[in-house]
Amino acid sequence: MKPGYFSSMLVFPILTASFFGAACLSLSWGQFDIPAENILALLCQSMGLPFLSDITVTPEQEAVLLHIRLPRTLVGLMVGAGLGASGAVMQGIFSNPLADPGIIGVSGGATFGAIVAIAFGLSETSFVALPLCALCGALVAVTLTVVLAMRHGKIPTMTLLLSGVIVGMMFGAITAAILTVLQEQKLHQYLFWTIGGLDYRRWEHVAMGAGPILAGLSVMLLMARHLNILVLGDIEARAVGMPVARYRLGLMAAASLVTATGVCISGNIGFVGLVVPHMMRLVTGPDHRRLLPASLLAGGAFLVFCDAVGRVVVPPLEIRVGIMTAFIGTPYFLWLLRRSQISMHGS
Amino acid sequence: MQGTMHGRQDAVLAVEGLSVGYRKGNNILTNVSFDVRQGEMVGLIGPNGAGKSTLLKTLRGILVPLAGCVVIRGHETGMLSSREFAREAAYLQQNVEISFGYSAREIVMAGRYPHIRWWEGESAGDRQIVDACMAYTGVLELAERPIHMISGGQRQRVLLAKVLAQQTPLLFLDEPATGLDIFYQEEIFRFCREICAKGRTVLMVVHELSLAAKLCSRLMLVGRGRIISDGPPETVMTSENLSRCYGVPVRVVQNPRTGSMEIFTEPPSDDNRRTELLSTILGEGKT
Repeated sequence: MKPGYFSSMLVFPILTASFFGAACLSLSWGQFDIPAENILALLCQSMGLPFLSDITVTPEQEAVLLHIRLPRTLVGLMVGAGLGASGAVMQGIFSNPLADPGIIGVSGGATFGAIVAIAFGLSETSFVALPLCALCGALVAVTLTVVLAMRHGKIPTMTLLLSGVIVGMMFGAITAAILTVLQEQKLHQYLFWTIGGLDYRRWEHVAMGAGPILAGLSVMLLMARHLNILVLGDIEARAVGMPVARYRLGLMAAASLVTATGVCISGNIGFVGLVVPHMMRLVTGPDHRRLLPASLLAGGAFLVFCDAVGRVVVPPLEIRVGIMTAFIGTPYFLWLLRRSQISMHGS
Repeated sequence: MQGTMHGRQDAVLAVEGLSVGYRKGNNILTNVSFDVRQGEMVGLIGPNGAGKSTLLKTLRGILVPLAGCVVIRGHETGMLSSREFAREAAYLQQNVEISFGYSAREIVMAGRYPHIRWWEGESAGDRQIVDACMAYTGVLELAERPIHMISGGQRQRVLLAKVLAQQTPLLFLDEPATGLDIFYQEEIFRFCREICAKGRTVLMVVHELSLAAKLCSRLMLVGRGRIISDGPPETVMTSENLSRCYGVPVRVVQNPRTGSMEIFTEPPSDDNRRTELLSTILGEGKT
């Protein structure tokens, strides 16, 4: 086993357990607590399994679980897993542990798309309109970033980073310009969207997000070994025979698609994509074949856990998950960072 | 210097009318032609900025030739895919920076990349080759240590193991021994000699002239936008060649005891201006 990293025998069972544990918490906690055995009983009964048939699940509990908690939890797991994994991929692509999945303009573009949908009242006609507009905005922004950075078929990471920042700023400016002329009620709607949240997520959101997120995640997991090579740097990667531009573009497309979809169905949720991969790197080491699955599981678990805690911490109010991730994550991350610095420089 | 038609046939590396540089119209070397045969250990020498590294990068396809062509074992390099090229020629760059704390073994395993198809994982065979390369260069016991926590000399052994793990007939090494302790320097040259004796071909940029003269089978002196001299060390390493190329008087003396070459520059003559400058630097005459 590598020194300094936990044994691989333990990491994945623990992460998987926390993934499902967080999901259970999220299903059971809320204004209306549902005991865990009732959740399991409902699951068993609906699948026709002969367990826990002595527990009766009230119709009220069933309705809350099936129509409110389950879609909300599933959206949380998907978005969290997506942000965790694509954060790890972006950090790898840019060889920079401070990279964030939104770094190439995804969030800026998505926000722009959302504000357009809100300003033109599209978001009231159908509730898929806003996510769709946000997705289009994100994809336009990423494409623009890549096109601006591309030169002679090569995409230098530094240029990419800069053009991402610039595209983000440009969309930010347009968003701000639209905001200044918006009515108050629409402003409120926008504010609500920018602070990411999982409340009122329905099965339609699950259906909308599942395809792109699962597809993007599979591409990233399949490419994990190549990402290991890409991280070594442009020249190293080319010296061992990797067509660098092609792989970089493919991985970036997958990560951006996943991030964009996540932002679209649950708003801007910071922190998960930056910190979860960072935490996981301290645990699994830099090999992306371990890091990506770990970030995926931890991202899902973390987001859903934060959401569950946000629901019960100051009842009857709910704290939106975008706020909770920062509140819970920051102290933990600081502690982790200090500890790793001590073990690196001290003693 | 120019290979005959017959010579070109069995050349591992044939370079024809090659011009190299970072930008068109700004050639660093112009119209360079040479052949390298199997088993040769070629040292590229010359002053800083002469274009040795640029030549090596162009040969390996990291830079695009501005003119001319490079043929490796009968394949024109422009026609090879990235993967095929990486199975013909390995490249060790100068000053490799690796972030994210990869372990030495993970770095060496990167050398197996061109031999593994994109959907496959590393096989037991790959692991065996990686272990053998690390044991050969003496870094097997460091295998699990993060690369940034390994000292310069050991690091260079790890990177050499990575290049060996690529199992290519041709190896391009950019200053593999620069900045290392004398023991590590000589060891790296010895590794190269051993693999050349087994039929691999090595082209390396070297700064240590006497080591190059002692251990390379052939030297190329690069300077003034071309290859000034090319041949066995004793014909290239002359006072006249080196003085012309480095632009300062250089003396080459064969040590009668060891038979190896000693190279040194003649000190510039003392003039008043320099004495004055020195006294300013040292703070004399201030009081």
